[in-house]
Amino acid sequence: MAVNGWILAATVCLGGGGAAALWGVTTGPPARRVVAQNMTTSALCPALLLLSQGYGRPAYVDLALLLALLGPVGTLVFARLLGDDLEGGRPSAWGLTWTAAGLSAVVVAAVCAATGPGRAMVKLLVVGALLIAGNVIASRALSGGFRGVRGG
Amino acid sequence: MTPRTAPRTALLALAELLAWWGALALLWLVLITSVDTLERIVGAGAAAVGALLARAGRRAVTWR
Repeated sequence: MAVNGWILAATVCLGGGGAAALWGVTTGPPARRVVAQNMTTSALCPALLLLSQGYGRPAYVDLALLLALLGPVGTLVFARLLGDDLEGGRPSAWGLTWTAAGLSAVVVAAVCAATGPGRAMVKLLVVGALLIAGNVIASRALSGGFRGVRGG
Repeated sequence: MTPRTAPRTALLALAELLAWWGALALLWLVLITSVDTLERIVGAGAAAVGALLARAGRRAVTWR
């Protein structure tokens, strides 16, 4: 299959975002690593959506849905388990968080435009909403929001 | 629970379950690949179980 724009965009997303996330996860203090771990979902999920469009395989959207659902849950587990380690310097990367949210929104909008109206588009919008909301909630949990539920 | 409020409580519970069921069944229909009779039946059943669990979960955290 010839390389099309979708696959190219997915490669940039995977190569750039994935490599940056890998670098962040393997180096630096725990606060940085946990933020990079959270960003992995935001890099890989849009890439899966782009690949699904590029290869014409709607099944890839299911993988993206699963990742968008489980990634933030994993980060919340890290935020809870590493709570004591992160107490000194709360990891906060709102610029990165909103950049990732913007990337997700752009990718979802582009794939939606290519899909056209229908059930498939609603599914893509559900994935996008889960991805962005999960990313923001997980980032807020990492930066020490949700004081009220700590130990609850 | 006084006899006067009992029907109201039951109605509210029923309405909440119906709302959960509707939302979950809709989500099922959106996420599946092909819509046919079997999928509709399975989805309705799964949404019913999900509605019971969702209401139980909602009630479990309401005190916060």
